[in-house]
Amino acid sequence: MRYKILTVDDSKTVRIIVRKAFKSYDCDILEAGNGVEGLAVAAKDSPDVILLDITMPVMDGVEMLTRIKSDAQLKGIPVIMLTAEGGRDNVLKIAKIGVRDYLVKPFKEEVLIEKVGRIIDLKPLTDQAAKAKSIFDPATILVVEDKPAIVAQIQEGLKHTPWKVHGASTQGEALDFCTKTPPDLILVSLSLPEEAAFSLFRVLRASIKTKYTPIFALAVKTETGQQQQAQTLGFSALITKPIDLGDLEGKICKAMNLDTSERYFKIEPGFLVMRLPENCSPSVLGEVANYLKPKFSEAVDAGLSRMIIDIHELKNLHMGVIKLLFQAMQTCRELSLQFALVGNAQIITECKGFEDTRNWQFYESIDEAKANLGKAAAAQLVPA
Amino acid sequence: MPAAAVITETLIRENINRAVSDVFKTMLGRIPTFVSVTEMSRRDDMAPPPPGPASGMTTFVVGTVGFLGDINGLIYLCLDEPFARLTTCHLLGLSEAEAMEAGDEAVNDAIGEITNMTVGSFKNGLCDAGYPCMLTIPSILRGSNFSIEPISSTTRYVYNFESTGHKVAVDILLKGND
Repeated sequence: MRYKILTVDDSKTVRIIVRKAFKSYDCDILEAGNGVEGLAVAAKDSPDVILLDITMPVMDGVEMLTRIKSDAQLKGIPVIMLTAEGGRDNVLKIAKIGVRDYLVKPFKEEVLIEKVGRIIDLKPLTDQAAKAKSIFDPATILVVEDKPAIVAQIQEGLKHTPWKVHGASTQGEALDFCTKTPPDLILVSLSLPEEAAFSLFRVLRASIKTKYTPIFALAVKTETGQQQQAQTLGFSALITKPIDLGDLEGKICKAMNLDTSERYFKIEPGFLVMRLPENCSPSVLGEVANYLKPKFSEAVDAGLSRMIIDIHELKNLHMGVIKLLFQAMQTCRELSLQFALVGNAQIITECKGFEDTRNWQFYESIDEAKANLGKAAAAQLVPA
Repeated sequence: MPAAAVITETLIRENINRAVSDVFKTMLGRIPTFVSVTEMSRRDDMAPPPPGPASGMTTFVVGTVGFLGDINGLIYLCLDEPFARLTTCHLLGLSEAEAMEAGDEAVNDAIGEITNMTVGSFKNGLCDAGYPCMLTIPSILRGSNFSIEPISSTTRYVYNFESTGHKVAVDILLKGND
């Protein structure tokens, strides 16, 4: 459901500022220039929150608020007064009529967002974006850790990605960073002094800017008590020290919902190429398996009829890989895609040793496979 | 009834300083520096031209908001046109080209709102100090060669600020005892 926020202010400037403040959130901004217009819009569109100025022509904010509170249909709509009319007496007068909150101009956009976020579940627009972010898109990762060596290790381990890894050694430093540059993912060390990791987690979750940001816990393997506490609190994932950087990268991709298919699938002129890396961990196999059908269908839909399954980088053949390759070949047959296998000498030899794979035919290079694929019939290329 | 005569210049200065600083810092990300104050209690004191739209070719944009109640007065916020446009860009998130396209109306609205916030903040301070009053609607003066002259029995303070090389004058007129 898309939330509706009604701003009632005679100042066009304030209405623009409100619109600007919420432009990156999944909500509609409705506008009215005075109390009469505001009541009409509220009755017609039933907004989820009203931001109401006090001094306005035609009908001021106090009268509009009084009318809202005496209307059975409207009285449940939370109202935040957003006005230059501060002063104790004014605030008390308005509070008696019934407002959810009060914000005196001048105001910071983030304070306004924070106050509205306490009333409705504001979601950043990026969460709603139809197009998933790719593994090749830049992202900001914040590591909250008081041991610089760990931050350096993560920076080094992820340097092949387009992600920028920043370190913060204290809770305050982390919060400052998040206010200025909301990161895409946060790793928090559970060993920060005075259980700061847990209080930081609560503050981050309470802030509209980091409410939906994945937060990972970093913990020593043996600290099971801390790990349980982190899981109970709702950390998105747990990373144990010593850090397995491959595992960390996989979990980051998953948590940020990144499209990693480009690592394994590439469309080249006339061909779809599926390429397996040298080490196929269960998480890699799972990722590739998830992309098989959509990627193959996408290729067929784009007019391709041939594909190459390239496993020449693979170091070890194991049952997981064999199962995945069978799945890929079966999908090719279902979609009438011609395919060819490319492997290295060791893999070819290993395939000869299994009953189910001994008849697989391999080419030694992609160029060779491309040259021959058009000529060979699919039946000749698949296991007997 | 309290009036201008019993309100000290210190109270006025503290409040306007706080108001201008709060508004510029919060809405524009700039911290203005207080430069000077001039008190002009009678028309005779008006000999030197008031700061702001002095004679010349520079266009000034002046926002005005009044306050009425236990204390009555008017505040003028005076900015040169380039700074007013820059302020509008920052406030509305516009590029300079977009602000030019939006025209004077957008600048007027923005400076009207900045004045409203400044005077509102100033007025709230007076309310809390025991001088309840209400704001009037904002209006805008524009031009390159004009002066603001109060009638007699008006107390006038002109506070000058500087922000990133631009001058901002806040002209406060307080009605005296009737």
